Amino acid sequence: MIDPLKRLGMLVLAALVFVLGVQTASAENTLEKILSAKKIRVAVDVANPPFGILDKNGQPDGSDVAVARQLAKDLGTEIEFVQVPSTGRIPALLAGRADVTIASISVTTDRAKAVMYCNPNGALSITIFAPQSVKIKTPSDLVGKRVGITRATLEEATVPKMAPEGTKIVWFDDLASTVQALLSGQVDAAAMTAFAEKTVADANPSKQLENKLLVTTAFYGPIVRQNDFELRQWINTWLFINTQNGTLTTIYKKYTGVDLPPLPTF
Amino acid sequence: MSRSFGLPEFVYIVAAIRWTLLLSLVAFVGGGLVGFAVAILRTTQSRILRLLTTGYIQLFQGTPVLMQLFVFYYGFAVLFDMQVDAWPAVALAFTLYAGAFLGEIWRGSIQAIPRTQWEASACLSLDYLQQLRFVILPQAMRISIPPTVGFLVQLIKNTSIAAIIGFVELTRAGQLMVNVTFQPMVVYPLVAALYFALCWPLSLLSRFLEKGIDANLGVKRPL
Amino acid sequence: MHYAFHFNVVWDHWRELAQGAWLTIRLSALAMVIGLVVATTCAYAKTTGPSAVRWIVAAYVEVIRNTPFLVQIFIVFFSLPALGISLDANEAALAAMVVNFGAYGTEILRSGIDAISHGQIDAAKALGLTRLQTFRHVVLFPALKIVFPALASQFILLMLASSVVSAISAVELTAITNSLQSTTFRPFEFYFVAAGLYLVMALGFRAVLGGIYWLVFARRGRI
Repeated sequence: MIDPLKRLGMLVLAALVFVLGVQTASAENTLEKILSAKKIRVAVDVANPPFGILDKNGQPDGSDVAVARQLAKDLGTEIEFVQVPSTGRIPALLAGRADVTIASISVTTDRAKAVMYCNPNGALSITIFAPQSVKIKTPSDLVGKRVGITRATLEEATVPKMAPEGTKIVWFDDLASTVQALLSGQVDAAAMTAFAEKTVADANPSKQLENKLLVTTAFYGPIVRQNDFELRQWINTWLFINTQNGTLTTIYKKYTGVDLPPLPTF
Repeated sequence: MSRSFGLPEFVYIVAAIRWTLLLSLVAFVGGGLVGFAVAILRTTQSRILRLLTTGYIQLFQGTPVLMQLFVFYYGFAVLFDMQVDAWPAVALAFTLYAGAFLGEIWRGSIQAIPRTQWEASACLSLDYLQQLRFVILPQAMRISIPPTVGFLVQLIKNTSIAAIIGFVELTRAGQLMVNVTFQPMVVYPLVAALYFALCWPLSLLSRFLEKGIDANLGVKRPL
Repeated sequence: MHYAFHFNVVWDHWRELAQGAWLTIRLSALAMVIGLVVATTCAYAKTTGPSAVRWIVAAYVEVIRNTPFLVQIFIVFFSLPALGISLDANEAALAAMVVNFGAYGTEILRSGIDAISHGQIDAAKALGLTRLQTFRHVVLFPALKIVFPALASQFILLMLASSVVSAISAVELTAITNSLQSTTFRPFEFYFVAAGLYLVMALGFRAVLGGIYWLVFARRGRI
């Protein structure tokens, strides 16, 4: 019988060889890999209306999902949706589970340290909203109120800065939880994109939710990993073409109901 | 853009059960293999092996499952620059988690076998592996079945934690449907009822087996 | 491996991590104490109550033990408000943890109570002790001593399960870790340290519980 210690050692060695072998150096860049595999993996957040939702068949839909579909079509590849919550949008990209994330990632300098932005494909605004009975007219009215925000979003980066001392900020892992917290009265107000708020307000007329304060506006765009310059360039070219021919405007209007503002480029 | 809770939403939730079951199965089988190795290694003579396996068990029994998931899902890939998809990361995390607990359960079962069994089989000139294979393990397996089935229940319930990282299984399906219907009063109790339907029969089975074992073998359970 | 470790980032935020850990400890300790009271009451009801009460307790235990903790806290936090019961994050977390521990504790205590031989109870009756006195001194105390290891393990599991209450915004260790790693993009360093903190807390709780056992049980005479 082989000494168990030796057997364990052989197992560990085999495992190491396997792991290292998997990391074979590849000379292909990400765009080439996508083209040769004929598949692009796009991370989307399907719990973030109207940018990402689930349709009645449980399939991804929404403005960014539609953009992703069109992008894959023009790239000539299949598309695989990697569903992530808001906290997973950047980690999924960094971990290589997706080639690009198209999930209303607002342009911020902090995020730009970890990922590369493509040109923006849309704009959003973050507002604080609450039931009619809750009186919030200026930021100082937030003192003593519980304000719900979602982790890893633009509102997480901006609301704590504009809310005065004495505001009780409450963090949730995803937008769905934040929304439910507001609807069940666990928080007095919540911050999210104005579009999401409209969706929630329309679906719950009895709560009489209304916009109270504007926090900030921002452009958002697809993101890729650092050093994926070829992919970024292709996406930017695609964005240029589809801004010119009105495709982006049509998609945006269809899901948000508003016109796409002029999109700046880097 | 919201819908009220109806048949399509119900179907979406029930259909997600297959992911819960699949994840539980993969973790149970994989964890079973790991746990088996761990249980054996824990009872060998080599001090290093015992230390390593004890360390592994302490690590996975002393940290929250959610933390383990985060490490495998977010941390690992960044660390090793590897492209780890969601399913392998989550499956690996649960496999190692199950392996630690099953290893402990099975080690306890092996150690519950009276010393006399070892001595008697040694007298019959069986070596260590033969002792395990023909005398100890068959008896240990019978004792270990009730707590193993009990752990399977824990495992199925703990797969719900994967919902927090957005992994789509039964609980996450519930969250997504609440997001669409805004009716947590309907959806979450439904999700709970579905888990109950999965787990309760197993719990009953585990208890039935436990009574059966005691009555038949008269072997004292380790406390 | 292209990842460069930057543990100093974690060190910069030690205060927030400590605050999170402190809430974990407070929630867990409080839930253990209240949960033990609940478990004792239910175990008493289950062994000596009328059959309707026994049935209710059994149903409570079965439902809680066969549904995931995450779904339980979702129901407490998101679904109950529709019934008019609105608890904030910490209250909801505590309530759910107490309810959860109560169910497991009831089963553990009940098995300990069952282990007390009837001769003891008969002797107590012969000595003229009231039912409550009998339960307290002759049944409960020895039962607690017998099942203390199992209870201690369940306590530790409760503390680890508390990491899941981050999903309903309670700002305990897991929630803080999550926020910090998502803003600094240093997942591995933060999860590593957080897991270590949980391990330390688990060891700490185990030591404290061992001390309690020694203080309360070990020094008494024969049981």
